[in-house]
Amino acid sequence: MAGLDLSILPQQLVNGLLLGSIYALIALGYTMVYGVLRLINFAHGEVFMLGAYAALFTSWALGFGPESRGQPPQSSALYLVIMLLVSMGACALIGALIELLAYRPMRNQPRIASLITAIGVSLFIQYAGGLFLPQSPPPAISEAVSPYRGVMTAVLKPPPADLAATIDEIRAREQAAKSLAEAAKAENKPEAKGLEEEYRSIQRDLRAKVGEADSQTVRITVPHGQLIMLVTTLVLMAVLRHIVLKTKTGRAMRAVSHDFDSAALMGVNVGRVVTLTFIIGSALAGAGAMMYATVLRTPLSPFLGVTPGIKAFVAAVLGGIGNIPGAVLGGLLMGVVETLVVWAGFSGFKDAVAFVVLIIVLLFRPGGLLGSSKVEKV
Amino acid sequence: MVKRTINQTWAVLALAAIAACSLVGCKEPETAGTGGEGTAKSSGSETSSTGVRRALKVDGPEVKGDKILIGLVAAQNGDQKPWGDDSVKGAQLAVDAANAAGGVNGKQIQLLVGDSNSDPVAGKNAAQKLVNDGVIGVLGEVASGTTQQIAQVTYDAGVPLIAIGATRTDLADIGSNFFRVCYTDDFQGPVMAKFAYDDLNLRNVAIMTDAKLPYSVGLSDSFRKAFEARGGKIVDEQKYQQKETQFSSYISNLKSKNPDGVFLSGYFTEVGPIVSQLRQAGLSVPVFGGDGWDSSELISSGGEAIVGGFFCNHYNSKETRKEVQDFLSAWKQKYGGEPGTTMGALGFDAANLMIDAIKRSTSLKAKDIIAAIDSTENFPGVSGSITLKGQGGNPSKPALVVKVTKDGFVFEKSYSPEELN
Amino acid sequence: MKFWVVRLVSLAVAFGFAFGADAWIAGSMPSAYRLAVLAGLFVTLAVSLNLINGITGQFSIGHAAFYMVGAYTTGFVSNQFYAQQPLGQPMWLIAMALLGAAASAVAGLVVGLPSLRLRGDYLAIVTLGFGEILRIVTQNISQIGGSYGMNVKPFGGPVQTLWVVLLLAFLCVSICRNLLKTAHGLPFVAVRDDEVASSAMGVRVSSVKVTAFVIGSAFAGAAGAMLAHAETFISPDMFRMDVSFIILTMVVLGGTGSITGSVVAAVVLFGIPEYLRTLQDPITKLPLAVPGQALLGSLVAVGLTVWGLREVSRRVHGNVQNRAVAYGGTLLGGAVVAWLFSVVFGLIPQIAALKFDVNMLRMVIFALTLIVLMLLRPQGIFGHHEFSWRWLGGLLGRRPREATA
Repeated sequence: MAGLDLSILPQQLVNGLLLGSIYALIALGYTMVYGVLRLINFAHGEVFMLGAYAALFTSWALGFGPESRGQPPQSSALYLVIMLLVSMGACALIGALIELLAYRPMRNQPRIASLITAIGVSLFIQYAGGLFLPQSPPPAISEAVSPYRGVMTAVLKPPPADLAATIDEIRAREQAAKSLAEAAKAENKPEAKGLEEEYRSIQRDLRAKVGEADSQTVRITVPHGQLIMLVTTLVLMAVLRHIVLKTKTGRAMRAVSHDFDSAALMGVNVGRVVTLTFIIGSALAGAGAMMYATVLRTPLSPFLGVTPGIKAFVAAVLGGIGNIPGAVLGGLLMGVVETLVVWAGFSGFKDAVAFVVLIIVLLFRPGGLLGSSKVEKV
Repeated sequence: MVKRTINQTWAVLALAAIAACSLVGCKEPETAGTGGEGTAKSSGSETSSTGVRRALKVDGPEVKGDKILIGLVAAQNGDQKPWGDDSVKGAQLAVDAANAAGGVNGKQIQLLVGDSNSDPVAGKNAAQKLVNDGVIGVLGEVASGTTQQIAQVTYDAGVPLIAIGATRTDLADIGSNFFRVCYTDDFQGPVMAKFAYDDLNLRNVAIMTDAKLPYSVGLSDSFRKAFEARGGKIVDEQKYQQKETQFSSYISNLKSKNPDGVFLSGYFTEVGPIVSQLRQAGLSVPVFGGDGWDSSELISSGGEAIVGGFFCNHYNSKETRKEVQDFLSAWKQKYGGEPGTTMGALGFDAANLMIDAIKRSTSLKAKDIIAAIDSTENFPGVSGSITLKGQGGNPSKPALVVKVTKDGFVFEKSYSPEELN
Repeated sequence: MKFWVVRLVSLAVAFGFAFGADAWIAGSMPSAYRLAVLAGLFVTLAVSLNLINGITGQFSIGHAAFYMVGAYTTGFVSNQFYAQQPLGQPMWLIAMALLGAAASAVAGLVVGLPSLRLRGDYLAIVTLGFGEILRIVTQNISQIGGSYGMNVKPFGGPVQTLWVVLLLAFLCVSICRNLLKTAHGLPFVAVRDDEVASSAMGVRVSSVKVTAFVIGSAFAGAAGAMLAHAETFISPDMFRMDVSFIILTMVVLGGTGSITGSVVAAVVLFGIPEYLRTLQDPITKLPLAVPGQALLGSLVAVGLTVWGLREVSRRVHGNVQNRAVAYGGTLLGGAVVAWLFSVVFGLIPQIAALKFDVNMLRMVIFALTLIVLMLLRPQGIFGHHEFSWRWLGGLLGRRPREATA
């Protein structure tokens, strides 16, 4: 690969943060459940997938269905809020159901048995989703639904002035050549072919110069939608941290996380706390899924949750699983590292590098970046 | 004590194993050592065909009873299900039509579907089961890797195979029973290269490849070769992975290389988001790709950004050809809407081609059906007029370049295979 | 003396079985040959993972990585060198199994080392990550086929591999069993049960952990070698995370630490989706289609039946007869519920319009079986027990004691 292009580094770092905010958002839900139950909830990615579908169905119900293509209704922030709430609600419900049906009966069993149940639930949702969810072709949420489609651009270094002048000059020549060629063609003159060729060569020059000017400009572009995702992640992190550290429910959660039996003896309703944890964690997945499906508009499939699920899991472990700011830190860090790998020209190895970083971090800090590694007591 | 006995057990095992080998040595399968021409060539990224097709070693089955069984291997589960489902629907449509018209020689046709679960190993299991069930021909698969495994099974059984979406070029070398209705990688790439060079007037193109998708890797390779052969330059190639959603890092890289066009060889599921993010990043150069783009959902995931893009396709729903309109109206009547992916039409063509060959065949023996498929000339498929005679299993048929507009795909240009050289 | 007689007889039985099964299946039902090979490979994989996971207690969830190392190493070597050496095909297969084992043992060592520092879920994610790293790297090396995959066809034709696969499975089972039955195995079990205490008792915890990883991965590597030669084609997609998860599931479902359990669970879990294929019957010439209401009704019924069975097992004690009546009643009740709900769901036209081909249901049924089995027997089919005649007698005579984790 050629040398590293420093002029796009600022943009790439921003890209990394934006990518990381997606991981962080999903990792929050993972870490919540893990923190309380010590259960790797493999079905989290599937809850996320169902949340994306819930958002899709809501958007269809709001009039942005496939048949409305052409003249969709006016976009509105209100629609987005409705989709967000429906998606969060649906996920909370599904999360609570999964806990009740599949995890609660396994509570007193070895953790590995719960893990297998989680894998089973995850497979079941994927394959059952294959039977019932629309997926052929994979549908995407219409872009018309969101009013935040613009981008924010900050120019750090404008293109050289003389280049701009050159471009103007070539553009004028291009126009002239174009009209000449068209006129010749219309009159069927013998030199039409030559003129056409000349016009095309000037057109190529123009493109090359415009491109050159573009690549000499240092700028940062941030799509509004992705910025909203990043901000939401940080806000949710703060809210979550507040709930866990400052409220009574949070104290109950921490107590349950510390020791199930003692918490129960102290009058904590363990079942309720666990259900609540699942509801919060799954609602977070729903929020993430709705933004993911609306902002990135990836076509949905029942397997949508697998990749983000694994990435978020890695992010959560990287930050110290069970630790809320850790999940966000882990997510953002992973986003930045992945982006830098792509920047360095090893895009094929991107996913591998995320794991390499994870392994290196774990070797030095076995409890993750912000987690505490506990010494086992005898 | 215990330690010693374990060691001794080991030693005995090893001795016994050696003894056993010499014993087995005499019943080595006779087929061994026939030398795998073509496919036996070891690995490597080189996908070009040697053009040598292995001759069949067995005669294959023949139709017994009053029904003609045709097998179809398709992903009914897993992440390729959307494509697999469409191929099943398309093939079923063709079988239903043939049965409604009286079947073949008074025999009804039955389509048996085997689930590949989006996985080569399970796909081979499915093909094996179908062959056991006595199918006279096999259709499928959509993916090249799985098709390669199915081709092995059908080759060993002497059953004809018509692949639906497997574009890898060297698959045709596996055996003389292998045919396909899709283009090979070696065809679509040059088509788009010619179109980009001559019609779009591009010289410095960047490529985005889905590294997880052999189809995309193959298509990018052949595009690169053809475009460079014409004198163009590939300024950059970015490799993403299927199911990614945020492509800004690739796009920033690509943008700094200053391309005047971007070739996207992946499926529409990623192409849509990529193009819309390309535009957000301020890159306004033309985008174009292969038949993986074909889906009504391309426009909803790509949004306004994808409008103005070009891709290579087999047919265009606005074509007036009778085959196309008949197919679309039959589809609409049975399933509603239009096929979600291009595999609907290809599955339909593959099944029709098989049925047509069974009709033309001199007998209902697999051997003669293979010969009949191999002599197909100007078969009127939805995906164009297909000729297999003398083509070594790979169809000779025209390619269309279509333009994405707000109201669907519009015909732009047509290329016949001869025009490319 | 008796010791040697038993050993020799069981060896003879194993060899007889391997060759006999190979010849018999190849002769009488060639279509099942591949399935038997794959099932045998899964037995090896499950038992070898059980050594790491169940017996030594190291939470490894990336077994497919070792499988892959074996497959790719031997595939590459076979393609390059088979033509230039004098060994016959059978010997070559065994040589390849050994090579695959060696290559994967090295990989196991590499993964085993971090296990010294990590435990529990952190170790799990590292093993998982290792598998993914290998898969992605493979996908990027075009010399071994990249994402498309690699042909492994040194012999140029079909290969008889079943006997090697069965011998491999036998070897794996006997080594794990011997470990458990002899003093050599005690440190492994001790490490699983309490690392700190065992270390205090003089067990060299580090070397035990690494040994477990090395042995376990070596067998997976040998299995990979056989996969490459039996399938004649390997691709990175064959070693996805799902494969690791399925192997892990076999171990847990069979009963963590129970070798018999792993063997049975491997065969059952591999067999279910394959068996479901056969429901599409070409004799009746009807592809089996399940109406939407029946599917939904059965889902509800399965849920209720599982709940009922759990309640029965908790509340109903006493003699065999009473329990049989209670269990039978619950199952019967489940069937009635399924019927009732399917009638109710049938009233909804959207649901009644749905039809599912059995091909589409295969994987759903598979996943559902997994959940149901886990809910009904969280300790696994065999718990910590091994198959023995005495155990079988005990099972029939009285309620087996619940295993403690």
